[in-house]
Amino acid sequence: MERGFTIWFTGLSCSGKTTVSQGVAEELLRRGLNVEVLDGDVVRTNLSKGLGFSKEDRDTNIKRIGFVCKLLSRNGVVAIGAAISPYRATRDYNRKEIGDFVEVYCKSPLDVCIKRDVKGLYKKALAGEITNYTGVSDPYEEPLNPEVVLETDRETEEESVGKVIRKLEELRYIQPAAAAQYSEEEEEKVKKRLADLGYL
Amino acid sequence: MGLFDKLRFKGRRVLVVGLDGVPFSLLKRLSEEGKLPNWTQLMESGSMKRMNSVHPCVSSVAWATYMTGKNPGKHNIYGFVDRNLGSMDVFIPTSRDMAGKTLWEILSQAGKRVVVINVPLTFPPREVNGILISGFLCPNIDKIAHPKELAGVLKEMGYRIDVDAWQARKSLDKFLEDLHLTLDKRIEAMFHFMEREEWDFFQLHIMETDRINHFLWGLWEEGDTQYGPEFIKYYQKIDGILGRISAMLDRDTRLIILSDHGFCGMKKEIFLNHWLQREGWLKFREENPKSVKDIHQESKAYSLIPGRIYVNLAGRESSGSVRFPDEYERIREGVKGGLLGMRDPDSGERIIENVFKREELYHGPHYNEGPDLVAIPHNGYDLKGNLDKKELTYKGPLVGMHTYDDAFLYIKDAEVGTGNNQFGVMDVMPTILKLMGVSSPEDIDGQTLL
Repeated sequence: MERGFTIWFTGLSCSGKTTVSQGVAEELLRRGLNVEVLDGDVVRTNLSKGLGFSKEDRDTNIKRIGFVCKLLSRNGVVAIGAAISPYRATRDYNRKEIGDFVEVYCKSPLDVCIKRDVKGLYKKALAGEITNYTGVSDPYEEPLNPEVVLETDRETEEESVGKVIRKLEELRYIQPAAAAQYSEEEEEKVKKRLADLGYL
Repeated sequence: MGLFDKLRFKGRRVLVVGLDGVPFSLLKRLSEEGKLPNWTQLMESGSMKRMNSVHPCVSSVAWATYMTGKNPGKHNIYGFVDRNLGSMDVFIPTSRDMAGKTLWEILSQAGKRVVVINVPLTFPPREVNGILISGFLCPNIDKIAHPKELAGVLKEMGYRIDVDAWQARKSLDKFLEDLHLTLDKRIEAMFHFMEREEWDFFQLHIMETDRINHFLWGLWEEGDTQYGPEFIKYYQKIDGILGRISAMLDRDTRLIILSDHGFCGMKKEIFLNHWLQREGWLKFREENPKSVKDIHQESKAYSLIPGRIYVNLAGRESSGSVRFPDEYERIREGVKGGLLGMRDPDSGERIIENVFKREELYHGPHYNEGPDLVAIPHNGYDLKGNLDKKELTYKGPLVGMHTYDDAFLYIKDAEVGTGNNQFGVMDVMPTILKLMGVSSPEDIDGQTLL
């Protein structure tokens, strides 16, 4: 069985967590891994239904997602959590609980996120119609040592996905794509072909 | 194809022939000498310009740049070999390592049907709307195609992935025989799919030109009476193929022919790791090092083919020991200065024409994995990455090498709207997309030439 691990996407609302996490999931599926995505927005409709946005409720939500990620990871699944998870201590709690934990910070300036405002919630928060909205009326604590920082206002989706995949390869959570392309015998064959041409 | 389909495709079809490693200057010369009648005719009805390749100018990097329209800092392909930063194992980058969507993937997404044959760095075949037969990095014909079932058709045809270049070291006659047969089979496959498949975009890649250049260029240049004429004969065969293709195309299909780099005669192979070791930049843990895995942690720099120099950087190379930015810069300056002063021990000629720092060549998310310096040799000196050589130079059976500024681009019935060497291989992709009425992605580096 492959070794499981958790990729944790954190960042402001509309910073690209869902988009990039889906791209990463697709690439990992393509490589034959078992992948499960726990998206904050989706989780709040079932696993964390009824929880609000107070600090306490937010922490409970993140710890629940972390708990499921832990169970999945130890059973060989790549668990992907994608939630604002604004508090550093709670993310670090999950890191400690899970162990094999790759934190991906979707870094995008607040004004860019406000402009994107996919769900129209920033508008409401700025108008005071909703309270406890991260970045507007609630804090967001940036990660201090995330494994990956994605500058989603400057990178394309595919570049961001590539950065996460590379890091996973580098950390040896997944096999580098190249190594997986050839059997030993095939690699020798191709290397010989290159050597015969003076390309090696 | 029905009338309705024909109307749908009107003015939007493109057929590309890639001639690997064929110089602008060679085609011009042979055409002027009257040896390439079809090519001469094509020149009259289109526009051909001399094109820059990419640094380093090898096929995998150049065709990755062509098919993504991006610089290596974005597409992540820097050579035929690279090192795994975690383990320092040397590996062969494949299409899976190439970041970014390819020309044919973008066309597929736009609903166009594509047929792509033999382009370097397309193995393993990534999915397209149509057919993709990958190139010479494919080890086994069963794995060569998308869709997979085509392997059967190709096997039946006797399709050949590549020539056996080792033969050239034993018998040039056998090598030539192989070159002809491989080309014949490639062309047979091309016409097979060209006639049977519906397509909006078709690309055939001829690798054999690069192969013949590597082993016969020098002989032709020196006027060898046996192999000089064989060399010309091979180019005339390709001229005939281009004539056949051109004659088959309707007026609504644009023909594009291009190469990825030029070629020139090779005087000597230069072993940069030997030089780095001699100058005290590189140390090995073993007496006879086999791979970059065997470099000593105290090493400051090492080289991968061709002319790529990497600083042994802590936090990037797992064996890295260079920690501070000022030390990094001091090493780059020192190695650059030394390389520029390097001379051929026999003739006293300078070997290196220029040394680029990575920030002068690359940008993008894979910038950090790229070489810290890229050395560009004077024509005639081919930079190698071997680790176990005890001499700086060597003269072997390889008699041709790549050049940067002598590739070409030809477009039939259109004007390449820029001067010779005012553009590069990365500009071709947006040009093709424009011809086909498909918009270019925003993150590419190339610009349309129309």
